[in-house]
Amino acid sequence: MLLKTERTIASWVLSAPLLLLLASLLIWPLVLGVQTAFSRDRLSEFEVTAAGLDNFITLLNAPNFWSSLGFTLSYAVIVTSLEIVLGFTLALLFDRAFPAKKLLFSLMLVPIMVAPALLAVMFRLILNENIGLVPGLLRLMGLEVSIFAQKSIFTTLVSLDMLEYTAFTFLLSYSSLQSMPKELFESAAIDGASARQTLFRVTLPILQPSLFIIFLLRFLDSLRTFDLIYIMTGGGPGTTTQTVGIYIFKAAFAYGDFGLASAAAILIVLFLVPFMPGILRQFNLAGERK
Amino acid sequence: MKKRSYWVTIIAFFFILIFLTPLLGALYTSLRTDNAILSGPFVWEFDKDLTHFKNALGAAGYDFPSFFRNSLVISCFTVFLTVIVSFPAAYAIVRLGFGGPWLPRLAVALRITPAIFFMVPFYKLFTSYDMIDKPISLILSNTFLNMTLALLLFCDAIREIPIEIEEAARVDGASIGRIVARITFPLIGPGIAAVGVLTFLFSWSDYLFAVVLSSSNATPVTVGAANFVTSYGVRWGDISAAVFLSVLPPLIFATAAQRFLVKGLSAGAVKG
Repeated sequence: MLLKTERTIASWVLSAPLLLLLASLLIWPLVLGVQTAFSRDRLSEFEVTAAGLDNFITLLNAPNFWSSLGFTLSYAVIVTSLEIVLGFTLALLFDRAFPAKKLLFSLMLVPIMVAPALLAVMFRLILNENIGLVPGLLRLMGLEVSIFAQKSIFTTLVSLDMLEYTAFTFLLSYSSLQSMPKELFESAAIDGASARQTLFRVTLPILQPSLFIIFLLRFLDSLRTFDLIYIMTGGGPGTTTQTVGIYIFKAAFAYGDFGLASAAAILIVLFLVPFMPGILRQFNLAGERK
Repeated sequence: MKKRSYWVTIIAFFFILIFLTPLLGALYTSLRTDNAILSGPFVWEFDKDLTHFKNALGAAGYDFPSFFRNSLVISCFTVFLTVIVSFPAAYAIVRLGFGGPWLPRLAVALRITPAIFFMVPFYKLFTSYDMIDKPISLILSNTFLNMTLALLLFCDAIREIPIEIEEAARVDGASIGRIVARITFPLIGPGIAAVGVLTFLFSWSDYLFAVVLSSSNATPVTVGAANFVTSYGVRWGDISAAVFLSVLPPLIFATAAQRFLVKGLSAGAVKG
């Protein structure tokens, strides 16, 4: 019904703000980032000079870079798995009528609404050795645990991450449970399936694709964890809890080496590129199914 | 049957208590006297004057009120700009077939790309245009970060509107611009609400870009609070009050708009 030229003009006019934003905040920074990665660009030196592959070679030989990559991956796998299991279990718990459900459901979502950085500040308060609630409670129970010691820091961070992000996996699991046809459960019940059989033979197989997407989303998100760990430990003790994000941030803004930081950022994206088509397909599939 | 389900309430309440410990802990500390805080976590002595809240709100000379104002300015303008940028483009994609499948695909790919990738380039870009430590640089970066999700949510919302309404307006002689502004925009209210609440939440929560792009004038509460802990490490009462207050605006907003939050997060997750 629309003329082709009218359609084309309208398309460009309507998309102009977005295209302008993409040009200035995507394409231009992309060029800047690549350019920086191939330069010797340090805060301590006045001149920026071409450096070829120097930054990349330095990175590939930097044990700190690889250990931060290893830490990020293991952290992401562990928190994502635990949060999916706990979130889904809680969603199953909420998938029925019970007193005060509405209020409790709202309260379950509160962590989503709290900024990770602010939560980290509160964590430092309640975990403080002298005045914190948690060490106080542990002492009452006769436990002497130093929460920030090398030995327990990983467990501490994983627990904190779960407090923050289980709400997210809970909400998404709950939504996908709600979208399941109720007749399935009825017919399973008529066939005499136990609760356990229903869960493993009906619910989980049907929700498997949704759960996979929730896993993927949470996993990709946890790979870029920065605020929580940076405020809690700054990457320490030593560099034991240094995520890739903290590595890049420190390279640029603590050591003033922009070239190295940009090269590291590019390597991270290159690591993700092989998975992109698969990830895109997952998301598209979900879109078409709906 | 009804009676049995009380156990669910109890279990759920137990978990919520654990999830909300940090928030409750901060509230608890902020209401106690300095003396009680320093004597240990279980000394019950409450401050009737709410001194810590008064201090956080400016009585003690901290910069907190200005951090608070910055966060509000950054979040509100980010929401505004995100809607302005994403909605017309989403209309062009859905109704006029602009960009084929490529723009949505780009949006998903951008969502997967870690934001840290843009940290150094944004720092250089905004430095060269003298926009560092001004709210505008944070508004632009947050708009960039939230635009992808907004675009996908708007595309969904527009697809749900029956095209017949627009065709009828077309027959009556309305131009495309008029249709977009007067018919489609008002009809996707729920979509705008979802984008609004999520964008507000995410830009209020931003720490990564705030820590890089602001040093004092444009500092929002996230960076302000984190610096507070390191520089005034002993004033726990004031810190708790400040952090508790900082959490409130998004908490109130998102709770009021919970329906849209849930819808937006679920749609964004399931469809990418």
